[in-house]
Amino acid sequence: MVFSPDLISGVLGFLFTILILSYLIGDNPLFRAAVYIFVGVASGYAAAVIWWQVVVPRLLTPLLPAILTGSLAEKIFILVPLLGAGFILMKISPRLAGMARITMAFLVGVGAAVIIAGALIGTLIPQVEATINFFDPQAAAARNIGLAEALANGTIILVGTVTSLLYFHFGARPQADGSMRRFWLIEIIALAGRVFIGITLGVIFAGVYAAALTALIERISSLVNFLGNL
Amino acid sequence: MAETIKCPNCGEINPRGQAACKNCLTPLLSVTGELNEDAAIKPGQAPTKKDTAELEPILPQWLKDARDASRNANEADGESLQHAKQPSSASGEDLLGGLQAQTGADEEDEVPDWLASITGASPKPKEAEAETPGTRWVEMGGSDDFEKADDSETPSWLAGLQPTESQPNEKDELTGDWMRETSQPQESQPPEQIAPFDTSAGDTPDWLRQMAADAEAKSEDLNAETPQDAPELPLDAPDWLRGLGGAAEPAQNEESAGLSESGAGESEASLFSAEIPDWLKSPAPEERPLQDTTPPWLKNEMQGSKDSEPPSEPKQEAAPAQDDALGDLPDWLKAAAPQSSIFNHSEEQAEPESQAPSDTPDWTRTVAATETPSSDEPAPAFESASAFTPDAKANGSLEDLFTEMPDWLSAASDAPAPESAPPAAEDALTPSELPSWVQAMRPVEHAPAQPSSTGDESLESRGALAGLQGVLPAVPGFAPTSKPKTYSNKLQASDEQLAHAEILEQLLAAEAAPVPIESFSSLRTSRSLRWFLAFIMLGIVLFSLSLNTRIFSMPVGVPGEVRDAMLAAQSLPQNAPVLVAFDYEPSRAGELEAAAAPLLDQIILFSHPRLTLISTSQTGSMLAERFIAGPLADHYKNSGFTYLNLGYLPGGQMGIRAFAQNPAAISPLDMYLQPAWETAPLEGIASLPQFAALILITDNADAARAWVEQTESLRGDMPFLVVASSQAAPMIQPYHDSRQVDGMIPGLYGGALFEQYNAGRPGTARTYWDAYSLGMLAAMALTLGGGLWNLVANLRDRTLNREAK
Repeated sequence: MVFSPDLISGVLGFLFTILILSYLIGDNPLFRAAVYIFVGVASGYAAAVIWWQVVVPRLLTPLLPAILTGSLAEKIFILVPLLGAGFILMKISPRLAGMARITMAFLVGVGAAVIIAGALIGTLIPQVEATINFFDPQAAAARNIGLAEALANGTIILVGTVTSLLYFHFGARPQADGSMRRFWLIEIIALAGRVFIGITLGVIFAGVYAAALTALIERISSLVNFLGNL
Repeated sequence: MAETIKCPNCGEINPRGQAACKNCLTPLLSVTGELNEDAAIKPGQAPTKKDTAELEPILPQWLKDARDASRNANEADGESLQHAKQPSSASGEDLLGGLQAQTGADEEDEVPDWLASITGASPKPKEAEAETPGTRWVEMGGSDDFEKADDSETPSWLAGLQPTESQPNEKDELTGDWMRETSQPQESQPPEQIAPFDTSAGDTPDWLRQMAADAEAKSEDLNAETPQDAPELPLDAPDWLRGLGGAAEPAQNEESAGLSESGAGESEASLFSAEIPDWLKSPAPEERPLQDTTPPWLKNEMQGSKDSEPPSEPKQEAAPAQDDALGDLPDWLKAAAPQSSIFNHSEEQAEPESQAPSDTPDWTRTVAATETPSSDEPAPAFESASAFTPDAKANGSLEDLFTEMPDWLSAASDAPAPESAPPAAEDALTPSELPSWVQAMRPVEHAPAQPSSTGDESLESRGALAGLQGVLPAVPGFAPTSKPKTYSNKLQASDEQLAHAEILEQLLAAEAAPVPIESFSSLRTSRSLRWFLAFIMLGIVLFSLSLNTRIFSMPVGVPGEVRDAMLAAQSLPQNAPVLVAFDYEPSRAGELEAAAAPLLDQIILFSHPRLTLISTSQTGSMLAERFIAGPLADHYKNSGFTYLNLGYLPGGQMGIRAFAQNPAAISPLDMYLQPAWETAPLEGIASLPQFAALILITDNADAARAWVEQTESLRGDMPFLVVASSQAAPMIQPYHDSRQVDGMIPGLYGGALFEQYNAGRPGTARTYWDAYSLGMLAAMALTLGGGLWNLVANLRDRTLNREAK
């Protein structure tokens, strides 16, 4: 009997699917074993990918040519990351862990700059503009949307955005009876924002449920297909 | 060793080993530590005190009487006392200590031989030592002098006084240094060989002369009564002094008689002229009643002196000394002083001494006289190189000499050794038993004088140096000028702040506090409900998939984002380079493969794009390969579809930004480490906008936002399509509404929509659609049913409670 790779992968997939589904009866060693194996395999695979797809092709392979025949810029581009990687490896020793701060400081600084700039350019400003443009008839016409629909969509989005933001306004004043209560207008708007937030959470829950259901369907389908192919 | 110790303060006899006097509590134990052999006293180092009270019992009685007399004396002889005080009383002590020093070789008895002979004790025989003039700087005679005196039946002290003329070859052995020096001209003596008694320049010690006179006077008095009987001398008189009683004996020879006459009353002028010691002339012959054992040189000396001096004058001078209470005190120490000063002083003070006993013994006065040589004569050589260490009690009174000091020998222990002191005979002493006064005379290393440490004698009363004296004072500039400020470590908080802190503590404690289970029935209900729900979902899905039902129709009504995605996919040119990013986890592979397969199938089917795959997660490249080998396997196997997998793109958003700026530099190799940008899929591509479209497959809204944000300003007009999971689609929807994302396919629903417009090709979405639809219905029904159940249950409980009330 010859065991093809598809058969072995199918058996393993079936087995581990059953082990994961055993969580329905509660936490059990089979489920934990499957989880541990998955974590180990995933970590090993990630390490292998980082070595073969990052360290070797981006650091080691160009190192020798850059040192021997590369220009100054190429040498710097190779040696600086190598030096930074060496600093991070210093975290192995508690005494030399401080050396990693140099590289980490560089990563944090560059990462913060990239993320903040990207958030401003790619999210905040375009989203504010999009919210404003919902009331632009020309923009609606360009999108083949009628004026009424555009106004309705814009109104809903505007109200939902404002009321949701006001919901998170927690400023309050002490009352005569000693209790703390927000201004009545803010209370009303916050209530509307609470409705919008509830709807949003319902949509997200539905999306999570739909994604989980799809994953379950895929696993059950694989089991059915595996059993059907036997 | 003495079994008792006499208190140096009160005279109380204490047993040996007593730490303090039982009468006056004066410390009795020796504080002298052991000395290292050949250890020299450093400059500034005080010699260790040595308790020599043990020598008290062996002191001669005449010395004890002299001390007692000094204690009992109410009035001091002003002139003589002043004269004695001016130079230094320590000189006399040092002189005596120096005498003690020459017997220091004997560690058991620190009593010098001459002293032992005086007290009647038999001196211990000693080996002849090779003496060096430089080391024997204080001595009265050779160590063999007493033995030789025994042999010749002459007093030991007399035996050591061999004239240099008669026995020049035995001078070094039989005569002391001082005696040798007396026979030599004073000018020829080197400073190193200066003896303390050489100032007399060959004269006789005065104490011997006085003893001789004393004995002669006594003999005359006794002869007046009983001329034939020798008078009994006091018991405390030494043997040799008793022997002086022989002066009353009838048997006398001419030499001895002549010597007695000349020795008793010779004048200083005659002594200098004849260079014969005074003491040689008087008592020695009287000690030889029967035999003439006097050496020839002595005979010559006596004969010479007899011929040159009248015998009457010395007797008149010696008579008052006998009446003195200090008559027993030997005046031989006076010989240490210059002869002129001694005799001048004795002549001037002869009358006062006889009338009023002085507190000061004669020998101290004579020593004092040695310290102040006469101005008429040149200064003795030994003054420039003092043989004795100066005493710390140089200005002290003689009363202190006998009362405050432990004994008369230890008085010199406190004196620091002068730098000019000649080296002592250390090899002849036992270091461990050296008395303090010997230590005081030990040579001091030549070194620059240490600054006096007595500049600051303040006693520290606080701090780590409390109890120490003479420590360096604190620098005024560093002293605190004000009291240091104190800071309270008590938290300054108002009552309101404390109340808020208490509330916070309660909240934090409530988080960690376990919540007791109100009833296990609810727990069992929850577990049953979970099993029930699982059974429903598994049953529905298994039923639909196993039966491959087509109960539910595919969705109709394409939403705007899906429509835009279809338009973008259909608008792709042929053989256009398309970049596909796989950024999802393996757990979402089933959903995203079903959602993205219709899009990529349509694109491959109609546009034959050159796909380039990339991923920002480690598992993305594997999922991309899985995707090609799974949903797109038909195209890959049958239609010659080619693609390039660039693999993992590290760096997160920074990596995406870098790739968007210069993709060829960031990902030069594919996942198999082959040059990527020279292959067919990437032919003619050098930057991101050169791709015909960017398709992102992700299950994470943050990943979609990262790609949107970092490629916003770089992708240009390149279509950006997103295949998102159902859980991420609501978050990505605003980016489509803002035109940042050109099209989006939300989960299985979007895949099912797109699949309907894929030229009727079967897809995974349709396979899953019934199960998906049943599961969504079941979920809605269960959620609605559960909500209604809770509503009914609450209404029932409220009704029951209302009825109960």
